[in-house]
Amino acid sequence: MRTMTTQATKGQLSASFRDPTGFLFSRDGVLYRQVNRKYEQEYTRLMQSGLYEKLTKVGLLIPHAEVDQPTIEFDLVPSRETVYKVIQPERVPFISYPYEWSFGQLKDAALATLSIQKRSLKLGMSLKDASAYNIQFVRGKATLIDTLSFETYNEGQPWVAYRQFCQHFLAPLALMALKDMRLNQLLRVYIDGVPLDLASKLLPWKTRFNFGLLTHIHLHASAQKKYAGEEVKSHRGSMSKQAMTGLIESLDSTIRKLDWKPGGTEWGNYYDITNYSDAAFEHKKQLVREWTNRIQPALVWDLGANTGVFSRVVSEAGPRVIAFDIDPAAVEQNYRQLKAEKNENLLPLLLDLTNPSPALGWANRERDSFSERGPVDLLLALAVIHHLAISNNVPLPQLADFFAETGKWLAIEFVPKSDSQVKKLLASREDIFPTYTREGFEAAFKNRFNIHEAVNVNESERVLYLMEHI
Amino acid sequence: MHFAPHLYLDPGSGSFLIQLLIAALLGAGIALRAYWGKIKELFGKKAKADEDHDDPSN
Repeated sequence: MRTMTTQATKGQLSASFRDPTGFLFSRDGVLYRQVNRKYEQEYTRLMQSGLYEKLTKVGLLIPHAEVDQPTIEFDLVPSRETVYKVIQPERVPFISYPYEWSFGQLKDAALATLSIQKRSLKLGMSLKDASAYNIQFVRGKATLIDTLSFETYNEGQPWVAYRQFCQHFLAPLALMALKDMRLNQLLRVYIDGVPLDLASKLLPWKTRFNFGLLTHIHLHASAQKKYAGEEVKSHRGSMSKQAMTGLIESLDSTIRKLDWKPGGTEWGNYYDITNYSDAAFEHKKQLVREWTNRIQPALVWDLGANTGVFSRVVSEAGPRVIAFDIDPAAVEQNYRQLKAEKNENLLPLLLDLTNPSPALGWANRERDSFSERGPVDLLLALAVIHHLAISNNVPLPQLADFFAETGKWLAIEFVPKSDSQVKKLLASREDIFPTYTREGFEAAFKNRFNIHEAVNVNESERVLYLMEHI
Repeated sequence: MHFAPHLYLDPGSGSFLIQLLIAALLGAGIALRAYWGKIKELFGKKAKADEDHDDPSN
């Protein structure tokens, strides 16, 4: 499975080019990180100060092994002089991005970053960047995946990542909590975080009475405007360690106070308003469990997962499950629930299937699109087809193509027109879907899949299929 | 003084300056809190330990 875009010839990951202290590359499907000679001192300090051990023990930093692996050759740079070490970080099963996270996930990623910074300061180091893209959810926990993010802390020096932290974390969290949840999508437009002048304009006026937001966003934005392009050298200053601690604590408490209660959105209480009986629900669970055990997938994507009821049925059988849903409230509830149950196999993410995450960044190669992160072993598409075929007018053959390109196995539920949920979708519009029938569905999907099973769900008009991509 | 010479990100001039200002203020707050803790200790109350209470996601 291809997990990250690489440059075709050299194997260097195309998102890994900004930091001159090293980069990621992939060889024979294994991910390595080259540590440059330039970073030797900081790397040694990270490993010998006890910081690495402390952070990896609590799951705040991705563990790695030093390997005796030749690095990749470069045309311009003689690698022997440049390379200090090659390390092999633990592989993250699925890379997700901040615009796919719920409020709680972005908040935990922010608090993890600050926690790392606090622990680093105690051991004489500091984070030199605070990018949300450096955080991934590993075993359910927000984890820093960039081993080269640390630098030696010299007292007096301000936090170089302060601006980035405010843009990547504080501004979007404040906008989500205090203005509108959907503003998290600004992260999809602004790859280096929400510009602070924009956040300042969008936030309600009353946020000026919140000390943290007043200083870290509103005054910060004004200062950026006032001093734009001026050299820092001309305004010398020094920041004591106590001042640095004060800054980090202030960011921490400002973020902890931001909160959002899921609910009141489209699907938050979906399972209370479904039209099928307990027997139908149990039957679906039983089929999904049986099929997962039969196929033994390593990675499963549950499309339209809602709060993750079926994702959990699948994950109990062992595989890691990514539970995608369009509703921020459902994703948030799912995330809170998995934290409470300490579920390490589940990752809920926000996704609009009718407009999935695109490839973003420099040359469109820094952040992979949704489909570039597949194909996956097993796709779950339960109670979702009518939303794509009817609400979004996607013809059935195109749906079959999409699923075939996204997964090897497909467990999909067909919801017929006679179903009350579909009737609702058609209530206020013309029925322009003559082929949306069980026969039409099967004919379209047979072109791309072998249909292994077709089971009528008990006490319902729905049919559950297990198919294998041809 | 020189700020970290190997910056690969632009920290932004305004961001640097506002940070110095805010941090000075907050650092003073911490110092005050520390003194307050000592005063309380004088009257027999224990200052609370703040070691590693900061596990973020739990």
